[in-house]
Amino acid sequence: MILIRRGAAIFLVAMGIFAVEVAMSFVPSGDLLFPASAAAPGEFPDQWIHGSKSAMDNSDPAVQVHRYNDHTYILRENKAINYEGAFMYVFFGNGVAMLIDQGSTSSPALFPLRRTVDELIAKWEAEFNQSATHLIVANSHLHGDHYAAWNQFVDRPNTTMVGLTHEELLHFWGFTRYPDERLEFDLGGRNLVVTGTPGHQSSEIAIYDEWTDLLYTGDMFYRGRLYLEDWDAWEASIKRLRQLADDYPVSHLINNHIEMTQTPSVDYPIGSTWQPDEPPMHMTLEMLDQAVKATEKIDQAGIYKYDDFLIYNEVPWAYTTDP
Amino acid sequence: MSGTFRKSFLVLALAVTWSPLAGAHMLNMTEVSFAVNEASDAMIVVRVDLGQSELITPEAYWAAVAASPSSEQQKLIEPVLKTVASGVEVFIDGEKRELALRKYEVTAISLEAIKNPFTPQMAQIQMAVGGPKPTEESSLEVRITDSLEVPWPCLVRVDSYSPLPLSRLLTSSTRSSGALGLNVSAESSSQGFMVTAVLRMQDWLPSITWLVVGAQHIIPMGLDHVVFILGLFFLSTKLTSLLLQVTAFTVAHSLTLGLTTLGFIAVPAYFVEPLIAASILYVAIDNLYSSHVAKWRLVVVMGFGLLHGLGFASALSDLALPEGSTLIPLLLFNLGVEIGQIAVLLSAYMVFGWFQNWPAYRKRVAEPASVTIAGIGLYWLIKRLAY
Repeated sequence: MILIRRGAAIFLVAMGIFAVEVAMSFVPSGDLLFPASAAAPGEFPDQWIHGSKSAMDNSDPAVQVHRYNDHTYILRENKAINYEGAFMYVFFGNGVAMLIDQGSTSSPALFPLRRTVDELIAKWEAEFNQSATHLIVANSHLHGDHYAAWNQFVDRPNTTMVGLTHEELLHFWGFTRYPDERLEFDLGGRNLVVTGTPGHQSSEIAIYDEWTDLLYTGDMFYRGRLYLEDWDAWEASIKRLRQLADDYPVSHLINNHIEMTQTPSVDYPIGSTWQPDEPPMHMTLEMLDQAVKATEKIDQAGIYKYDDFLIYNEVPWAYTTDP
Repeated sequence: MSGTFRKSFLVLALAVTWSPLAGAHMLNMTEVSFAVNEASDAMIVVRVDLGQSELITPEAYWAAVAASPSSEQQKLIEPVLKTVASGVEVFIDGEKRELALRKYEVTAISLEAIKNPFTPQMAQIQMAVGGPKPTEESSLEVRITDSLEVPWPCLVRVDSYSPLPLSRLLTSSTRSSGALGLNVSAESSSQGFMVTAVLRMQDWLPSITWLVVGAQHIIPMGLDHVVFILGLFFLSTKLTSLLLQVTAFTVAHSLTLGLTTLGFIAVPAYFVEPLIAASILYVAIDNLYSSHVAKWRLVVVMGFGLLHGLGFASALSDLALPEGSTLIPLLLFNLGVEIGQIAVLLSAYMVFGWFQNWPAYRKRVAEPASVTIAGIGLYWLIKRLAY
């Protein structure tokens, strides 16, 4: 008898905990959820704003703000303001937003990135019932065309400036064995996977977003001239990206510039402020495979042409074919 | 990379000397680095694309680069260097300091490269900061005067007494870095005395963190281990037998934790986790049917210890132990786990120790507690098996 009573009691306790846990899961927490299993979809524009014949007469916004999905935004600097037409990203999590890269123009009058990001955050907060969102100002790598407007954020309250030195960057992300290391970063419940990808520049990182399955490859892989200052490092980095894409599902590769035309292997000249025949910015895993394959062939400094990108392997700028 | 590539690259590299190889874009931005530390005096290094700076024409810069002997070069370039030196201002604690030119490097690969804004040909100018050496308490401000135009923006890098460098960006409209503390970790001591003290201690003894990490794996992260230890607690009213069990448990889990971390054994978590839940269930049910600690129970507890050690190991493996010296962090992690366990036992003793001699203790306290623990164990067991 006592056996049954105790058994029943134990079972009741277990059921009680189960009931509480189930009940708790129904309590609306107000938290946004970013399940890693989601592969949250998003949309790219049919064509990005791509400059104009006359930069003087350009009437496009200084910063194009594209909503990829509810919590993922892609920004592009107007090519008429700076030919780089650099892409920047804002990822939102619970209570926190991360701005990756700050474009190629410093002047807030010409390029009001701070105002644009502040407005974006305010709009997002209103829409998703959030408040006091902390902003992290981060960079894919440490080249001037990716942090020119950094200074616009330096006095912003409730903001973390990751910093513009190699050491600050490693410290923020928590690298101890850069670059061959994979780190998880919790952006308010949205899990990012970060790894080192030097080669184009020695302080570069790639970011994988488990929620959208987007893999952000910065300047080390995009549709354009891949200037590699350190071939060995880049070769290891591109393979590291391939490995990451083997271990996680990838929806699209996203990055920082478009320099190619729709014609395979043909790029726009450096400094172009009008690119009417631009391909999309996002890339596919097949293109990544092509880059991995290229590493088996390339064994000398020089310019190598592929359909969707050009490899400028350890070629000093002075020797490029462009004007 | 093949040997021929190395050779051809070397030729290129020699041609370029130290000027940076192709990076992407806008590489000709200016850099001002300030450095001071215990060992060396304060110094400023300015890297600037002089040929694009309007301070000198590309032709004149190329003439200076090509000039020899060095006295000839100096005559051509020195006026420009002086302009740069007078346009960069360094303030220590608000007081302007003299900058004395120490050495410079002017290089370029060709006149075309100097003229092309996409191929930065950087000059490097090193200057000593005059006056008394700035200390950890000093503040620094770097300014570029309105009269000096350099390729913008200008990155300011400060290496001083704090472990990390500091960065600021100057633009043509924001020409001052603002006041920067030379020891940022001291500056951020507004966090309060305790935080600063802990940070200081960690600077001295990084491994101490592993002790804390170990303790955290009991409280608050190791709820299943806490429940298991409470399971042990509710059988023994005697401190000695309790200590005996806990010691057996500890020795056993240290063994498997060590062996797993050092890579001798590997057991997957999906195997270990349900067994840990089962061990809780077992200990609690055993409590209900034993009135004293049997000898064989020690053996069982030890076996469970081996199991829990595997659980700690999988948690520890997520933390990436420092390469090379795993032993000390491992020992400290273990010690931290012990501290956590003892804290749990002490708390339990403080709550229940008072009436352990109460005749109804077993019926009114120990048995209901054990039933609850068994219920928790059962719930975890089913949940972990289900996943």
